[in-house]
Amino acid sequence: MNRAHALIEELLAIRALGGLDVDDDALLVREMAGHGDCEECRRFAADYGETAGRLAFALDPLPVAEGEADAVLRRAAEAGHPSATAAHTALADAPARRRSRPGRTWQALGAAAAVVVLVVAAIALLGPPRSTDVQATTSQTVVHFTGTGGELAMAYEPGRPGALLLGSGFDDPGPDQVYEIWMIQDETPISGGCVSPHDGSIVAFVDADVSGADLMAVTVEATSCPAQPTTAPFLTAPLTA
Amino acid sequence: MTTGTPTLVRSPQVGTIDLAEARDRELVVGIRHGDEEAFRGLFSRYAPSAKAIALRVVRQSHLAEEIVQEAFLALWRNPDGYDQQRGSVKSWLMGMVHHRAVDLVRREESQRRRAERTASQIVEIESDHADEVVDQIGLPEERRRVRAALDELPQEQRAVIEMMYFDGKSQSQIAEATGLPLGTVKSRTLLGMRRLRVTLIGVES
Repeated sequence: MNRAHALIEELLAIRALGGLDVDDDALLVREMAGHGDCEECRRFAADYGETAGRLAFALDPLPVAEGEADAVLRRAAEAGHPSATAAHTALADAPARRRSRPGRTWQALGAAAAVVVLVVAAIALLGPPRSTDVQATTSQTVVHFTGTGGELAMAYEPGRPGALLLGSGFDDPGPDQVYEIWMIQDETPISGGCVSPHDGSIVAFVDADVSGADLMAVTVEATSCPAQPTTAPFLTAPLTA
Repeated sequence: MTTGTPTLVRSPQVGTIDLAEARDRELVVGIRHGDEEAFRGLFSRYAPSAKAIALRVVRQSHLAEEIVQEAFLALWRNPDGYDQQRGSVKSWLMGMVHHRAVDLVRREESQRRRAERTASQIVEIESDHADEVVDQIGLPEERRRVRAALDELPQEQRAVIEMMYFDGKSQSQIAEATGLPLGTVKSRTLLGMRRLRVTLIGVES
C-alpha cells in the first residue's frame, strides 16, 4: 500500500466512526479526488463502514414501545413529502429549514434560468468503475458548502473537467426525490447531476469543469433530475477564481 | 410478509453462511415491494439496538427515539439505499442511526452538555430492561462477539474508538480531552479499526 492509500485508509476508518474533523474531511476529498476511481478506496470505505456498524451491537439493546413500527409506517403514509414530517420533529428541523430558507431563493441568486445549458455530467456514487480526469496536483482547490442539513465539500482543479464531492449527515431526500448539484454561471444554473445519499453520505463525481461557475448549489429535486431547479438551494459554495 | 425460506448467503468477508443476513436481505426485498410485515420484522429485530446506540450518543431518550424513527422511515421510503455490495443490512441500519446521532450532537453540543447529567440517569434506568430484550431478539451472540473484539484491543486503542463511536467525539475533541497529540489519536484509531476489521468481519490488512 502506498502512502496515499494509507492516509485514505486512516481517514476512512475515522470517518466510519463519525470522528473526522472538517479539515480532514476536506483532506479526504482531495486525496480521493487524486485517486479518481479507486477500487481500494471503495473497499476501505465498505470494510470500515461494516466494522463500525457492528460496534452498535456491543450495547445492551433497549426496549422499544409496542406499535413503534406502525407509528413509522403511519408517519410515512401521512407525510408524503419529507418536509411535512420535518415540520413536527426536532430532528428533521434542519432539512425543513434548508428547503425554505428565506432570502436564498433562486431569484435572490439572480438565476433567471432563461437558458439552461445542459452539460454532460455524470455522477458516481461509489458505484460501478468509472474513469475520471481528476488528478491530484498542488493546484487543486477545495471548497466547503454552507447551509444546513449536511456537510459537503468539493475538490476540483481549476480549468480541468472533474470535481469530487464528499458529504455526510444528509437525510434521505424523500420518496421519488434526489439531491441535484448545480453550477451557477452568469446567473444561469447548470445541472451537475443528481445523487442520493447512502447512509447519510454522498460521494459524487461531476464530470464537468466547475471552475467557470460563480457558485455551486444543491437542491432537492424529483428523480427525473430536472434541467432547471424547482426548489431553493439549501447548500451553496461560492467559487473564487 | 416475506416468509419464504431464506436464501443462503456466503459472506465474502468471513467465508461463512450467514442465515441472519440472508433473512435481513429478504426483508429488505419485501420492503422494496411495500411489504409492511417485512418492515415490522426488520424493525423488531434492529430497533432495540438502534435505540441503544442512538441514546448512547445523544444521551436524550426522546431524541434517540426520534433518530430511530427517522432512520427506519428513511429505510421504508428508500429501501434501494441499501446496497448489498457495501455490506450487511444490520451495519447499514446502524450506520444510518449512528450518523444521524453524531450529526445531531455536533449541532447541539451545548444542549447536550446541559442535559448530560440527566441523560446518564436515563441510560442507567433503561439498561435495566436490556436482558429480556436480548432474549427476545436473539442477538446475544453478536453482542458477545463485538464485546470480545473490543476487549481484545489494547486499552489505548479501545479508548479512542469508544470515545469516537459511542460518545460521538471527534478526533480533535478526543485529543483535547485526553491530551494526546492528534496524530496519536488518529494512529490509534486506525490500528484499532484494523484489528476490529479482522475480528468482526474477517478482513485482513
